[in-house]
Amino acid sequence: MRDADALENNPEITRSALEAIHGQVFGWALSRCNYDRAAAEDIMQQAYVELLSGNALFRKKSTLKTFVFSVVQNLARSRYRRLATRLRLVREHAANADDSFLPEEPDRNSDVWLAVRHLPVRQRDIIELVFCRELTIEEAASVMGITTGTGRVHYDRAKKALRAALGSLADDMK
Amino acid sequence: MNDENGNTSNWEKRLATALKSSLESKDKTPPFDAVFAAAERRRRDSKRQYAGLAGAAMVAAVAVAVVFMINAGAPTPDSPALPKLLQVAELMDSTDWSAPSDVLLPTHEFDIYQELPVLLESTKPAEGALL
Repeated sequence: MRDADALENNPEITRSALEAIHGQVFGWALSRCNYDRAAAEDIMQQAYVELLSGNALFRKKSTLKTFVFSVVQNLARSRYRRLATRLRLVREHAANADDSFLPEEPDRNSDVWLAVRHLPVRQRDIIELVFCRELTIEEAASVMGITTGTGRVHYDRAKKALRAALGSLADDMK
Repeated sequence: MNDENGNTSNWEKRLATALKSSLESKDKTPPFDAVFAAAERRRRDSKRQYAGLAGAAMVAAVAVAVVFMINAGAPTPDSPALPKLLQVAELMDSTDWSAPSDVLLPTHEFDIYQELPVLLESTKPAEGALL
């Protein structure tokens, strides 16, 4: 029997289930948009539009959280692919760059965060998905569009790099 | 976050905690209802926009079809007009033709045969022939 709360064009998704993961999805969208809140909200709205219209159809092949994270990832990719060239041109021609519009990143003084930011993109993404968004390595790899094996390799390398970068912190953590 | 034995290491737990705390300070999530309502509005607007475009395209297609059908019935400038049956009476009424030699006819009161010439009649032969 169909859930009354289910989306019309996406019967396997309920509004309440989306609401339950909304915070985590927004965090992921924020990360995908380089911590630009307006862009993240836009991506979130677009992701919900895709779910409402059924363009992104959930067939229970993964958890809902993994599926919605993937939708956000794909939307962010296509959006930034289009914007990347334009942004690069703007930066090249901005002689006196005004940093008042720089996006607000998580605690810039956090040594841990800085170390993560210095990781290669895929290592950073898998660390964020596993440690901060509480996905398994398999789920994280699925969101990133890579195989589980590749995901494990990135994960292990990222952990080693973080151990090296956070030596003193690691000692504190022991 | 599990090690080879399936256990989460202490280091990883602490790393996760540190990362989460650095993210939490900035991850102020906008209310779900607001974002979802905005998405619903956006979908409605895009559907309306799509319907408008589809309607305009249909009207344009119908207009083109009508113009095509109207033009299909009329003869094109290059094609010859269909021949019309000739009506003899109409043709006779609408035309007048006279031969150039009509001036010689009696109605023109010029008759070269008004007076018959008098021919000399002779029955007398002259040297074996009639004159």
